[in-house]
Amino acid sequence: MAFDPQREDYQRLGLRFAQTLDGTDAASATHSFASFGRRFAHDRDSLPQSDADRAFHLVAMATKLIDYQLPFADDETAKELIASGHRLLDEALVLDPHCYDAIRMKIAAQAPTFEEFLGFLRDQADEVRAHCERQQQAQATGIDSERSRLRADLAMRPYLRWLSTQAEQALICGRNREALALALECLRIDPHDVADARFSVALAYAKLEDEAGLDSFVDRLQQHGSMRPANDAWTLLSRLAMRFKALDTEGAQDWVSELIRTYPHAAEALIRQTELPVGIFARISTVPYSEDELIVAISEATILLQEGVDPMERGALGTWLATEVARQQPQAMLAIMSEQQRQQNGRRA
Amino acid sequence: MRGNEELIQRLALKRRRQLGSMSEEAYAELELAVREDPMRFVDDDEDEAFRLVVQALAQIDERQHDDDLLDDAQYLEERTRRLGALGNACAHALELDENCVDAALLLTLSKDLSPNMALEALLELERNVNTREGAVEPSVAGDAWTNVFERPRLRLSDSIARLCLCTARYRVARDRCVDMLAKAPLDVLGARLTCVLAMARLEDEDGFHWLEARESHRGNAWFHLGRALLMYKLGRMPAARRAIRGFDRLCVGGAYALLQPVFVDLYLPDRPAFEPQTFTESVLAVHEADPIISDVPDFAAWTCDQPGFLASAQDYARRNGMGWREWEQ
Repeated sequence: MAFDPQREDYQRLGLRFAQTLDGTDAASATHSFASFGRRFAHDRDSLPQSDADRAFHLVAMATKLIDYQLPFADDETAKELIASGHRLLDEALVLDPHCYDAIRMKIAAQAPTFEEFLGFLRDQADEVRAHCERQQQAQATGIDSERSRLRADLAMRPYLRWLSTQAEQALICGRNREALALALECLRIDPHDVADARFSVALAYAKLEDEAGLDSFVDRLQQHGSMRPANDAWTLLSRLAMRFKALDTEGAQDWVSELIRTYPHAAEALIRQTELPVGIFARISTVPYSEDELIVAISEATILLQEGVDPMERGALGTWLATEVARQQPQAMLAIMSEQQRQQNGRRA
Repeated sequence: MRGNEELIQRLALKRRRQLGSMSEEAYAELELAVREDPMRFVDDDEDEAFRLVVQALAQIDERQHDDDLLDDAQYLEERTRRLGALGNACAHALELDENCVDAALLLTLSKDLSPNMALEALLELERNVNTREGAVEPSVAGDAWTNVFERPRLRLSDSIARLCLCTARYRVARDRCVDMLAKAPLDVLGARLTCVLAMARLEDEDGFHWLEARESHRGNAWFHLGRALLMYKLGRMPAARRAIRGFDRLCVGGAYALLQPVFVDLYLPDRPAFEPQTFTESVLAVHEADPIISDVPDFAAWTCDQPGFLASAQDYARRNGMGWREWEQ
């Protein structure tokens, strides 16, 4: 599902706009709502909105720059993107000092160490939670139950992002039990798991090498029925890692094959094992079962891949995985090698 | 590995078996005679194979004394030559006795494979040995180590456990060590040291406490460092601070070893002998914990923030005339 800031921005204004139509007759309400999309895109200021809505819009814009454009930018553009992104976040905070997304994103970019960022998140978590709960209660008075549910849901989002970031950060810091508890708490608050906290749960179980724990967790989730099957890249990589760790090479090989069957161009991504910058708004939103989703998952699974002593310095599992994939899919290895050759030739020319 | 001592015991025990029942005094006499001239008691290829292995290891030990005089390139060359010689001796030993576990173990280690490949090779070796001889059993005395003929297999298991630890297979490492402690509770090889690190990494607090209690809370460098890592990972910062202070205070040069990487070569085949509360102890513990420390990226920087820790490390360097590279946080 993942957090999509553009969509959330749209939902916020949509809800507020709908509120203004309450009490008008059906025909004129339909007429007005028909114009909403156009006004949202081209004449945003003409729509009713609070300072918090405006601040969130700026957060959405900053996210676009920092999470989605920055990774592809050259050095010069990168500097501009970062500066513009931070200006937007500063503006957001002027409009809404309680814009916890903006607060979190600024700290994410500034904290000198993983641990300090985690410490900051931990220290402020209660305050964020209390704020979001107050917002939620304030919203829970609508007449239309579906709309009020969405409003309540949106009100909690900043806290969910806070908590899921905290879980991801705890994993990076090597605090695996803390990460597991945080991700499970995320799921408790939001059983639909818009934050995809269950991906962090899978990684944490793999770090703790607790296969039984992951099994029963997945079983519990599947009983909900509304969730995607547990064959996402995070779960598959976690299962693969745990079989490798249990010295079950054949079992690990099976999960490699499963990843290759499930994701397009998986072999190349699994050989490259690219480490990406973490999204500062939230995990980068990708299409389920796309190559991009796999790449994001592999990057997050770095904590599993790069562990252990290994002369190639890719980690024990990282090296084994690259070798195993190349064995199963030699053409993927050849494609990577010829691309590297081309790049070298390009540099020489 | 105290190879010579084992060789003497093996030869004396075999001779006693041939001679039939013997008083304790007579056995002590026999042992003295073997100690005097082991070669006279080497009866068969099995003995000779083991003797070759012991001799090859002794030669490595002797040569190591001059290593400090070599520069890096010379050292690497010497190391390659040394491992080659060990490999040749082991191959020769295996020609005499294909079941010589120590020769097979050291032959694999001498190839200087990646830890993952070495582990695969040793697991296969262990499967073959187990098929041939059955699993290691505690001796009548309750400790498999007291049976000198079981020691090679315990060494093999110990090597496997350490390779599991350094290839990030912590649960397997832990379970294997717990099993070794049951079969050989005297734990001459130090499976509990590998175990304590695995438990810290798995954030297995119950296991950790069990092991500490088993040790009657008289920890060494592995225990102090393991405790600091465990408490840090669990977020019990006051306890983590106490533990790292204990590590600094009780482990000679511990802070230095943690902040300034010290090169430690392959173990051939077991952990090098060390005197308790020496710099060597600290260096070995940090070396073995290294993958676990790296998995907690801000741990080393955190130790520097602990009052006196960095100063203690620098002070150790100064007092012992050791180099100091600036530590970048």
